[in-house]
Amino acid sequence: MEEEDQRKVTDLVVDLVRRLLPQQNPNSPHFSQSLRYALRILSSCLNPSISPDADAIAESIKRRLATLGNSSDALTFADLYTKFASKNGPGSVHNKWAVLYLLKIISEDRKTAKNGMDFSFLLPNLGLNDDEMGNNVRVLNGKDNREKGWKNGVLLVSKDPENLREISFREFGNLVKEENEVTEEVLVRDVLYACQGIDGKYVKFDSNLGGYALLDSVKVPRATRIIVRKLCELGWLFRKVKGYISESMDRFPAEDVGAVGQAFCAALLDELSEYYKLLAVLEAQSMNPIPLVSENASSGNYLSLRRLSVWLAEPMVKMRLMAVLVDKCKVLRGGAMASSIHLHAQHGDPLVHDFMRQLLRRVCSPLFEMVRSWVLEGELEDIFAEFFIVGQPVKAESLWREGYRLHAGMLPSFISQSLAQRILRTGKSINFLRVCCDDRGWAAAATEAAAAAGTTTRRGGLGYGETDALESLVMEAAKRIDKHLLDVIYKRYKFKEHCLAIKRYLLLGQGDFVQYLMDIVGPELSEPANTISSFKLAGLLESAIRSSNAQYDDPDILDRLRVKMMPHGSGDRGWDVFSLEYDARVPLDTVFTESVMMRYLRIFNFLWKLRRVEHALIGAWKTMKPNCITSHAFTKLQRAVKLQLLSTLRRCQVLWDEMNHFVTNLQYYIMFEVLEVSWSNFSNEMEVAKDLDDLLAAHEKYLHSIVEKSLLGERSQTLYKSLFVLFDLILQFRYHADRLYEGIHELQARTVESSLNSRDKKKSRRQEKDKSSEPGSWISEGRKALTQRASEFLQNMGQDLEALATEYLTLYLAYQMVCFLKACLELSS
Amino acid sequence: MDPEAARTARESLDLAFHMSNILDTGLDRHTLSVLIALCDLGLNPEALAAVVKELQSEPPPSPPLPTSSSQIP
Repeated sequence: MEEEDQRKVTDLVVDLVRRLLPQQNPNSPHFSQSLRYALRILSSCLNPSISPDADAIAESIKRRLATLGNSSDALTFADLYTKFASKNGPGSVHNKWAVLYLLKIISEDRKTAKNGMDFSFLLPNLGLNDDEMGNNVRVLNGKDNREKGWKNGVLLVSKDPENLREISFREFGNLVKEENEVTEEVLVRDVLYACQGIDGKYVKFDSNLGGYALLDSVKVPRATRIIVRKLCELGWLFRKVKGYISESMDRFPAEDVGAVGQAFCAALLDELSEYYKLLAVLEAQSMNPIPLVSENASSGNYLSLRRLSVWLAEPMVKMRLMAVLVDKCKVLRGGAMASSIHLHAQHGDPLVHDFMRQLLRRVCSPLFEMVRSWVLEGELEDIFAEFFIVGQPVKAESLWREGYRLHAGMLPSFISQSLAQRILRTGKSINFLRVCCDDRGWAAAATEAAAAAGTTTRRGGLGYGETDALESLVMEAAKRIDKHLLDVIYKRYKFKEHCLAIKRYLLLGQGDFVQYLMDIVGPELSEPANTISSFKLAGLLESAIRSSNAQYDDPDILDRLRVKMMPHGSGDRGWDVFSLEYDARVPLDTVFTESVMMRYLRIFNFLWKLRRVEHALIGAWKTMKPNCITSHAFTKLQRAVKLQLLSTLRRCQVLWDEMNHFVTNLQYYIMFEVLEVSWSNFSNEMEVAKDLDDLLAAHEKYLHSIVEKSLLGERSQTLYKSLFVLFDLILQFRYHADRLYEGIHELQARTVESSLNSRDKKKSRRQEKDKSSEPGSWISEGRKALTQRASEFLQNMGQDLEALATEYLTLYLAYQMVCFLKACLELSS
Repeated sequence: MDPEAARTARESLDLAFHMSNILDTGLDRHTLSVLIALCDLGLNPEALAAVVKELQSEPPPSPPLPTSSSQIP
């Protein structure tokens, strides 16, 4: 029974096949092939996938028909099915469900075939391997419909009876094969190698062109060659960047590359690692074969040259940026490098902007670190000389002025000049406090500042792009440290008190002390300079201090006051080399430097001379006081002599008046108009000074104004000289006046004596012999001779005085005129 | 076969043919009868459908295409 069935099956199958392929000769090899194929299919799936439920199948068919819009068909079908199903008994179909299912599948297949054919008809799959036909039958060929017309179906007229499209596609395939020696996949892989700087099989680095290119020997169409060359630009850029990085890294041990340079290399390496990741993904994709002109192939992960160019567009932009930066920064270091990179960051494109920002953040972090540690701790951690503040080892007294300065070349362009000045001053203050003032309180100020600015005193926390944060930190720190410094200077080191002391002693503000000093030191100083001992003078200074109000002053201040003998030549008198000195120690010698003290010295000299002149005139006045003795004696003289005497005296008196007037006015001017005014200005400025630089500037201004106003400055050279000549004349006058009055007193004494002698001539003839004859006395010559001598003397004196007076007056007038003109000029300018 | 059975068979075939036409399967009466017979014998209807599909869609083993242009009427 089994065998019979089997035979029946085979027969039936044969029959079926014959039916299905009507135009075939049953004996053709194709027929047997198809038969074999059919049998294979039949034996492969023996079990149906659905349950044998005819009703269910019928239902689904009905539904399908209904949804397709053929409701009449559906009804007909339903009707037919009922009838079909009711046929039972011998001769009927036993496996109705099978039949139904069969019909269903066949109709569905036909439907999909018909629909599918509309799209696939135009682009048949063009396989390059035509040999294996059997496997390529899966997509339908529209030729089938040529012969078949159906009752209910649509007659499809084939669009391409002779398959021109297929022919041309096949020819194209052949052409492509001919033109390309190498396949696109291989080229893609080679380009990917080139992008990493490695020579591929066909794409190598050509040193003539200076870039990667396809070898000329390889035969590819021009378009492919051009696109490969374009993509290989990336390889050239990569080589440049990588070359710079490896070169820099080689120089690291030599400490040639700074911290900023190292940060730059690190940032570049990070970017490159991102780039490598992308390349790895692309390489994985490039392993997939490239389907040519295929519609069915999904946009799956294959990689053609065009796709590669899309992928590499963004990395190309970034790599170009990096290469430009590398070129610029080859010779730069430190802050200069940061500046030039910052210049490039001024770009509108958001991609470029973001990229540069990232890069700059990393590159500038060492710089910002250095700023932070400088501003908060005063530490310069600059091994590679990249910071814009340079320090040099100097003595403690010049620390403020010369210890640190700005190095403009290393200043990054995103830090402004004023900010840089502030930074410099803050760090300088901390160092100054630490070194010169021996003070530790600044650390508290620094932490406060950091807390106020929102960052910490630890590392990190500041970056590029946060220039505001940096600025606020610096401002806070500067404010606090400056205040602290000024506190220390004022309170601990009593700056104001010292300034006042200098004013009182060096600028002769303490009148009683100066007077007393002049009194006791005066006689000493008239000696030649090399005979004066400074110890003696120091002793005299001490006694002067003790006898004036100065003794109540702070002993620390008095300690610093000393006598100084300047280096002198052989002809100098003590007056020329005497001066006082004030010893300002660290840290105040930042303000009172050597040069500043020299200027004070000069002013002191001038003031001392002035005082001396004043002293001389006062001394002259003492002798010139009119008194009875002198006037009494002259009544006895002859009228002519008397007149002469009187006139000389008068002249002397008048001259003295003039000189006194001049000196008093000058003294007043210097003391009040110059010194006091400058001092009050300076005081005011000291009150408002915010930091040591301000203080230094104020003091400088104070000194300068004193020097200028007391006519000691550059512009007043001639005036100064004439003034000193005047002083000399005054001193000469004193000398002459002294001589005159000496003479008068002598004369008076002789006159009295001679009158006495004449009265007692008889009595004291004997006494005469006892009197030793004085040299040059006129007693022995009698009264006439006396008068004659007197008149001669007076005449001489008169002439001298006359000459003196004229000289003095002319000079004085000239001096006055020049002063007046100068004052006018100054007022008008 | 007795006439009853034959009649039943014939009517069944008619009905099946009608249904196949409605469903637009493109099968003619004789093929359908063969198929029904095969189904009755227990063959998998899916397999049979596959056979039908394959053999219907198979292009005839023509000589190389360029010469097919000569067949154009």
